Amino acid sequence: MSALVARRALVWTVATVAEVVDETAHAVTIAFDVPDWPGHVAGQHVDVRLTAPDGYQAERSYSIASGPEDGRLALTVERIADGEVSPYLAGVLEAGDEIELRGPIGAHFSWRVEDGGPLLLVAGGSGLAPLMSMLRHRHARASEVDARLLVSARTLGELLYHRELEQLADGPGLAVHRTLTRERPDGWDGWDRRVDPAMLQAVGPAPEERPRVFVCGPTGFVEHVAETLVELGHDPGAVHAERFGPTGG
Amino acid sequence: MEATWLDGNGMAGLLTEVFGADITAVVRSCGSCGTAAPIGAHRAYRGAGVVLRCPGCEDVAIRIAQLPDRTVLEVRGAWVVELPRG
Repeated sequence: MSALVARRALVWTVATVAEVVDETAHAVTIAFDVPDWPGHVAGQHVDVRLTAPDGYQAERSYSIASGPEDGRLALTVERIADGEVSPYLAGVLEAGDEIELRGPIGAHFSWRVEDGGPLLLVAGGSGLAPLMSMLRHRHARASEVDARLLVSARTLGELLYHRELEQLADGPGLAVHRTLTRERPDGWDGWDRRVDPAMLQAVGPAPEERPRVFVCGPTGFVEHVAETLVELGHDPGAVHAERFGPTGG
Repeated sequence: MEATWLDGNGMAGLLTEVFGADITAVVRSCGSCGTAAPIGAHRAYRGAGVVLRCPGCEDVAIRIAQLPDRTVLEVRGAWVVELPRG
């Protein structure tokens, strides 16, 4: 099998921070102005590079959280206490600051409305970011393709894009399911356990409907969910996975 | 046990540097076990360089080492990469 691959020089570009918004106690969304940004496909990521005064460089990959139709490129960054890059991005960086980035990249983990559905999106923690880009894209294009989202977070306070997801779920074709693994707040109508086969079956779609599946989160979470989906009968080739860490944050 | 690999997809930046194109959607057939999987679904191990392994049998698909003055590349298995000309 072969495929014609788009050829494009990948160059580091200086991006300017337009806005930093607190999402949770540990995560921020950073919107950038990027000169000559070529546009992205939902699910893709960028590489971010920081350079210290002594020339030391640290590089990390971050999924793009904004939809392709949104005005600005936005990344959601979760602060990892002993990380090398995330405490700077989600703590120090402010409007007007400049950082280097390159992208968009990652043709494998991406979805366009034209690719069709049904869609099954499973997120662990800040793994929701690239899946949110897909849902923002779906909404911007007024698509009604069957989409199911399952989000796992430790606590309600750590659930990203909570309000926006509720608004999106009011639209046709999208079902949003949530599970909290460390607490059960009063009046909570979601699940309160780790993702398991029964939960994935309840979320659907069934393997026979051949959904396109995208799973993103910490390595252990993605491994567990992807294995469970294949055991339930989903085509391994249709399960797209994006693991993050252990990269030192 | 916590897995120690990432996805080939996460190496898209480096792969684009090396190949001049984002090859994560290119399908590679493993020379050892025959598994056909996109490069983005291969397992990526980072050390002094990057090693991508077959998701089916862990056989080496590609090794990339970036030295100060050059990049060293070893490619294994059956891949066909088509790049537009011009």
